[in-house]
Amino acid sequence: MGAEPIISLRDVTKVYRQGSVDVHALRGLTMDVEAGEFTAICGPSGSGKTTMLNLIGALDAMTSGSIVLEGRELASLNKKELSELRRDRIGFVFQAYNLMPVLTAYENAEMVLWVQGVDGSSRRERVMGLLEKVGLKGMENRRPSELSGGQQQRVAIARAIASNPVVVLADEPTANVDSETAETLLELMEELNREQGVTFVFSTHDPQVMERARRVVRLVDGRVASDERR
Amino acid sequence: MKILRMAWRNLWRNGRRTLVTVAAMTLALWSMVLYTSLMEGMLGSMETTLLDVELGEIQVHADGYRERPSIWERIEDPDALLRALDETGLRSTARLLGGALVASGDVSTGALLKGLRPERDALVSEVHQRLDRGEWLDPADAKGVVLGYRLARTLAVEVGDELVALSQATDGSMANDLFRVRGVLQSLSEETDRATVFLLEDEFRNFFALEDGAHRVIVRSSEGQDLTAAAGLVEQAAAMSAPGVEVRSWRDLLPGLANVFDSAQAAVQVVAFVVYVVIAILILNAMLTAVFERIREFGVLKAIGVSPRRVLALILVEGALQSALAIGIGLVASLPALWFVTTRGIDVGGLGGTAIMGVAMDQIWTGAVSPLTIAGPVFILLFVAGVAVLFPAIKAARINPIEAIHHQ
Repeated sequence: MGAEPIISLRDVTKVYRQGSVDVHALRGLTMDVEAGEFTAICGPSGSGKTTMLNLIGALDAMTSGSIVLEGRELASLNKKELSELRRDRIGFVFQAYNLMPVLTAYENAEMVLWVQGVDGSSRRERVMGLLEKVGLKGMENRRPSELSGGQQQRVAIARAIASNPVVVLADEPTANVDSETAETLLELMEELNREQGVTFVFSTHDPQVMERARRVVRLVDGRVASDERR
Repeated sequence: MKILRMAWRNLWRNGRRTLVTVAAMTLALWSMVLYTSLMEGMLGSMETTLLDVELGEIQVHADGYRERPSIWERIEDPDALLRALDETGLRSTARLLGGALVASGDVSTGALLKGLRPERDALVSEVHQRLDRGEWLDPADAKGVVLGYRLARTLAVEVGDELVALSQATDGSMANDLFRVRGVLQSLSEETDRATVFLLEDEFRNFFALEDGAHRVIVRSSEGQDLTAAAGLVEQAAAMSAPGVEVRSWRDLLPGLANVFDSAQAAVQVVAFVVYVVIAILILNAMLTAVFERIREFGVLKAIGVSPRRVLALILVEGALQSALAIGIGLVASLPALWFVTTRGIDVGGLGGTAIMGVAMDQIWTGAVSPLTIAGPVFILLFVAGVAVLFPAIKAARINPIEAIHHQ
């Protein structure tokens, strides 16, 4: 592609201490993610997929190496700056949806905008449009318990993209839904990627996701084993 | 606004737990408001008994009288002192005090005779209003006397019965006379109950052959007047009209009781605090459980960029909402209880004249209401609830998002 990468990982290692044993989750991982990519990170359990997403998402700190997001070295940011970075530049979609059960679909989707301090009318305009986009028009006032798994994941996607993040990190987003729902979710994310240019990075075991991804990075033992662009 | 909405909805995710917590806080507040009211009522009543009935705010005695009370140690010209005090605007009365043996039938006991002028004394003391039975002194009934509650019981006399008094008069002769019980006082204080006989000043003078002087002048300060300032006025008046006397405020006369009054409010707050500590443990447990149950949610909030401050605020608002509910319900529930204790009171007559440090409690224990009755328990509840909820709130705010999101 040749474009400037929005995410750049260089020789990233992550070592966890489990009891008296050091677990090497990432071993010198190097890769770039460019704007507009639709990338699947796959690999066996323990290969470092989720760890990699956590590090890119500024949820965890690497042991060594360098991660640069939009030109900012994550290791140089303090907790407050990392929190603001997550709020403003990164969207998260979790395997278990992780919506706030006491909030409605609308309130969940507007959460990040509220945290950003966006005014009420702008939030409403943006979120109503997004909910319509993800196929939840008319369900704005439903709480998560009144929505199916697929619908909840759509709300999570709406929440993730509401603030126009530079990248959406999705940790096994289709793992908790049936294949038909997974297909519609993937279509939705593909559409958002294609039409709105949202960059997606997934960790996944799901062949459906890998099939639709335009780039598949395979991790083995915390290293990039293969990197296939389609 | 969103935090308030979230907090309110979070409370009702486990409605039973919230209701139990709020109910416990409500009950604690209700009982503390009631307790504070009753304590204020009791202290107010004791203070009234002490100052309005017994001591007055300030007393004047001849030098040395208090150390060695004696019929001969007198303020030489009490009327001059009373006139001087009248000019300062302070109400005052003189009393004569003398020991005697009083007897009825085969029973006799020592007593303190107190001679007074009813009309003047009524300006200073409410003792004439504290009759259990019979009537107060009347100049038309020269031989009528009024006895303390327990003295009447000891002598087994009732209103209308005769009473013999024996003593030594100031001229060295044997003083003796026959009186008639005109009234019996309510329980007021240890001294008055056990050994006091009130009689008219003229009869006292006749009995003890005492032509002039008085042993005690009781002075009342004005409402809200500073005690030290009032004592200063009395000292000035005494210096001009009655040299050789000592002026003492009731705080100097009864320092122990003064301390009791001073520390009583603090004691009420300490009891309230102890009660609330129990409630604090309940709140702490409920909020910790609530935080523990929602660890994953806090992790997600942190992950999407909600600041620790906002997470902290969410939990604090949940605690504040529960406190607000408890305060609202508790105060509404307190109203009928306060109405009851302030208007009807609790009959403690069955306790047989309960006294605290020698000052009797009224037979009907009534409560009192002041701003502190409500504000004290409410502020302590808010403080204790705030402290109790702070730990879970900090715990939630400090949650590591990754660990929290993967918490099972």
